[in-house]
Amino acid sequence: MTAPKQRPVLPFPSKDPAGEPTSEGMDLVARSQTGDVQAFEAIYRQHAGRLYTLACRMAGSAEDGEDLLQEIFLQAYRKLGSFKGDSSLGTWLYRLALNHCLDYVRSRHAKMSKLTDTLDADASYQPTARRDTPIARLDLERALERLPDGCREAFVLHDVEGFDHKEVGRLLGIAEGTSKSQVFKARAKLRALLR
Amino acid sequence: MHPDEIVINDYADDALTPAERADVERHLAGCAQCRALVDDLGEIRRVAASLEQREAPVRAWSRIERAIQLEAANRAAEDRTRGVLPNAVIARLKSSRAIRLGLAAAAVLVLATAVGLRLLPRAARSGAPGSPPAAVMSSDAAQIEAELRQAEAHYERAIQGLEQIANAEKGALDPQTAATLQKNLSVIDQAISESRAALRAEPTSEPAQQSLIDSFKSKMGLLQDTVALINDMRRGNEAGAARIVSGPKPKG
Repeated sequence: MTAPKQRPVLPFPSKDPAGEPTSEGMDLVARSQTGDVQAFEAIYRQHAGRLYTLACRMAGSAEDGEDLLQEIFLQAYRKLGSFKGDSSLGTWLYRLALNHCLDYVRSRHAKMSKLTDTLDADASYQPTARRDTPIARLDLERALERLPDGCREAFVLHDVEGFDHKEVGRLLGIAEGTSKSQVFKARAKLRALLR
Repeated sequence: MHPDEIVINDYADDALTPAERADVERHLAGCAQCRALVDDLGEIRRVAASLEQREAPVRAWSRIERAIQLEAANRAAEDRTRGVLPNAVIARLKSSRAIRLGLAAAAVLVLATAVGLRLLPRAARSGAPGSPPAAVMSSDAAQIEAELRQAEAHYERAIQGLEQIANAEKGALDPQTAATLQKNLSVIDQAISESRAALRAEPTSEPAQQSLIDSFKSKMGLLQDTVALINDMRRGNEAGAARIVSGPKPKG
């Protein structure tokens, strides 16, 4: 029997300080482990927004993001015993959430046999006239949902979450050069969508 | 000739060598189209890095809390069943062919259910980009509901059979054990009711579907353990009964 594949330790996005474990976080974890649901709710309230945002963007829809959020916190509840305080609770939860999102998108790729490099012709690189108005955040959020699987995850991890291409490649199981190519394709597609 | 896509993006990412950068800037000085592209890429990067955090839906916590409580109730019910039946009860149990036959019939139903239940993956039902068209999604949702109803019917029949067997032997249990068993069954029945209510509100909700199936499994497990215990004692298999009462062997 072969040994299970070891999952690499996930990096943390460089733009976001990992933070140190706090006594408040450790206290909430300890209370949650004894079945104190209110303590776990406090953990949820502190971190749900960030993890929900990550899940929505990685999955490409709010509906899937909500399902992922529930699964992430259920998994966190079950795994609280493995939190040893080596990092902040936020970092631990972020890694758990990112792992879960990556598993989900990998599984969806396998199930849906989606091609990651099939972009519409209008997304190809073509210098065009400059837009007249600045890009609104809400428009970019909506356009993100229309990106094909593959380049959306690479774009979210690189341009939104702040991982470098080497880390994105490691997270998605692709070469660093492929990460670059996917991010560039995503930007071209976004530019076309936001024109 | 315009620089290629990779070079332009690397320029926007400030990832070129000084010499490469100078080459691109010479081109940009005379090409308004590429300047516009570089400006747009820079803006996309800037806006992407400043996207705001979303608020999790208000209902999300209540769904998580319900799932945690259900999981805790299932675990507690399992622990109590395994730990509460005293040896005195076991000693009073006698052998019965009907119980063995009933248990075998229920096991067949459970197997049929496990084989028959094929809930579709979430992605096939979602509204995510690239999802199947609405008509296909609607057909999938109907199929999921039909499969769930079928699974529910299997479980209900199996549970009914087990309940009949357990009720026929109710007198063999001491009052404390019977009360604990009843309390645990009530907790699971409550979970089943809540899952059904959630499904009525959201028929394609995967957590609600899973919650309902998990609750059925818990009830089946509780009843099966009780009946298996009675069965073993009636056959005079004290070793088997002791194994059931003490719970499963630790792994490893």
